[in-house]
Order: sequence, then structure tokens, then C-alpha cells
Amino acid sequence: MQAQVEQWLKEGTVDLFIGYKKIDGHVMPHFFTKEKIDEVKDLVAGQAHYSLEKIATKVAAEHPDMKIGILLARNCNQQALNVLTIWNQLNSDNIKTIDAFGDACPSEQAEDIAPYKQQNGLSKSMVPEDAEAFDQEQRFSRWMYEFSKCMKCYGCRNICPVCFCKECSLEHKDLVGTGNLPPEIPVFHLVRAVHMAGRCIDCGLCEEACPSDIPLRLLYRKVNEIVKDVYDYETGTSPDQSPFSVLGEKVVLETTKL
Amino acid sequence: MDYKFVPSVCPYCGTGCGVLFEVIDGKLAGTLPNKTHPVNEGKLCIKGWNMHEYVNSFMRLKQPLVKSFGRFLKTDWDEAIRITADRFKEIVEKHGPDSIGVLVSAKITNEENYLAQKFARAVIGTNNVDHCARL
Repeated sequence: MQAQVEQWLKEGTVDLFIGYKKIDGHVMPHFFTKEKIDEVKDLVAGQAHYSLEKIATKVAAEHPDMKIGILLARNCNQQALNVLTIWNQLNSDNIKTIDAFGDACPSEQAEDIAPYKQQNGLSKSMVPEDAEAFDQEQRFSRWMYEFSKCMKCYGCRNICPVCFCKECSLEHKDLVGTGNLPPEIPVFHLVRAVHMAGRCIDCGLCEEACPSDIPLRLLYRKVNEIVKDVYDYETGTSPDQSPFSVLGEKVVLETTKL
Repeated sequence: MDYKFVPSVCPYCGTGCGVLFEVIDGKLAGTLPNKTHPVNEGKLCIKGWNMHEYVNSFMRLKQPLVKSFGRFLKTDWDEAIRITADRFKEIVEKHGPDSIGVLVSAKITNEENYLAQKFARAVIGTNNVDHCARL
């Protein structure tokens, strides 16, 4: 891995390589360049989950022609990269990747659930079928309990590798009410869930970043299941934009008669 | 070309969440939570997520200002500290040391908090010391 990156940087195949380096005991993202070629020997695959693809989009926005190398630590990183390329956030000609898969997905790890959450909420380790086992009333109250913990940090959106809109619906005062905590529920979370349809690559970073322990991944998994059933679209692996790429008539916020 | 990640600690409150500052072309472009930090474990509140904004804010005070005749005038630190000291002296002489209170903060270090209470007790001569966490 290090030899490959060193060669790429020396030959100019990539101008910049985004990987991981251990600094002060923390594995954190690091930019490797030709000028500091010695650092490449410190390149590690990394047990910490950061979205290096999203970092690459920020660099690409400043320097569209720069050739960027990205370390992909998990399969979902590859899928995120696909989605970002499909939606024109990255130019695939300028991107080189190294696969270093092997890191276990956090959703496969067992989780200790507090008794109160077990009784009143939904846990991260659930799959949509588990949640659907509850009757409708139970399910709604359990989701509302989870949503009511939200402290509107926007962490789920900020960390999301496939969230790149310049204007975010979550900050639109006509769509989501402002000035209260928790935010307007369940609208806040459902707006985001709808926007995750055909986008979410199920990486789980939103859940990891959530200070309130809301099982967001479960919600987005269900949304994407519907996208797959109805449109036969596999987010992250299908080569085209999702069925929600067509702009319809002008959007108005006033209610219209059906 | 200057790209780097700078590990740091959030200055907003006393919790001490670990953050990574994303520096692109020498400019602070974003804040990420430090995933492996023992305090926040990859989570941040809304203030922490937007830390890079105040560093680059045009509203940010970059030098001391002194209010004179209702207008803020730019000055240097020596001058600003001299004026403040003179005013403190005036107030202490006229109204007594207990007319002044010192508020310290969780955002500053333990040592700075110590110096602040020392300043209140030994220099001004009052026990009016309080902390932002009690406000």
C-alpha cells in the first residue's frame, strides 16, 4: 500500500493522496503529497471511520483539475465514491483509489441496549423487519421517543458522505420549523429520510455521529428498501442517477387543491 | 498547496471534545469530530460542528477597541490595558472593591481561572468571583 502511494506521488499519477496517519495516538485523515514523501511510510489503513470521499469533494471544489488518490477502507467508501461521481461531485478521471477493505462494519457488532430504550425506543442493531414487528401505534411512539431526543446538531447531515447540497432543506424555515428543541418532529427526520432515498449508501456514519443515539440507519434502510422495490434501483452500485433526479414542475409551498 | 488536518480541542465549553480542523490552502475549511477521542467518541454538538465559522467571521474582533464618546476606536493592547486599569482604580476608589466582580469561564484553562481569581482577590480585593457554569 505505502509503496503504491509513493510511486503514484513520485510519478505524478496523483497530486494528493488522502489516507490515514496516526497522530498523537489517534488515527486521523491525512493529506500525503510529493513534497512530504517521507510521510507515506506512516500511512495506515485506519480503524477510524472518516469519509475521505467527502474530504476529496472539498478539495475538488477548490481545484477541479487536481488528481486525487483516496484510500477506501470499507466497501461503503467505494459506494459513496460511486454516488458522488454519479452526481458530478467528483470527476472519475481525476480519482485513483486503493482498496484496503477488511474493516468490520459497525452494524455487525453487538450492542448493549439500555432497558429504557428497549422498552420505549428502537435500537441500532435492528433491521427494518424487527421494527415492523411492532404494531403501528407502538412503532410510532417508539420512533417519536427516538426523535424527541434530537438536539438538532445537524451532525447526521454534516458527516454524511453523500450530502452535498448547497442549500439544505433542513435549514429551510418553511419546511422545518425553527426555534425549538427538539426540532419539529417527526418532520425534521422525515425530510432527511426522504432526501436519503436513492442516496444513502448505508455507511452508518450518521448514527456514529449522533449524540442522541437515534437509529437513523434503520430509518434510511427502510427508505432505500422502498426505492429498491419500487424502482429497482440499487444505491451505490447502479451506474445511473437515482429515479429522483428529474426536476418536476416548479415547487410551491402553498397547498393546492387535488 | 497546503492541506492538512489539525487535531484540537473544542473551546466552547468545559467538556473538551476532540475535533479535527480541515485546512485547505491555508484556510480553515471545516470541522470534523475526532472519531477516536475518548471524550466525544466522534460526536459533536451544533456549536462544535460550526467552529470554523467564527474563526473566519468578518465580525470577529481582531484588535482591542476602546469606547470613547460613544464610538469604538481601535487601539493597541498596552493602551487598552492601561485605560482598563485606570478605570478599575477609579471605580475601586469611589465605590469600594466589592463593586467589581470577576466572571471566569470553562473555556479557559485551569491556570487562567486561577490567575483570574488571584486577580480578583489580591489585586482588586474582592471575593466576587463566579463561573459561567453557574450563570
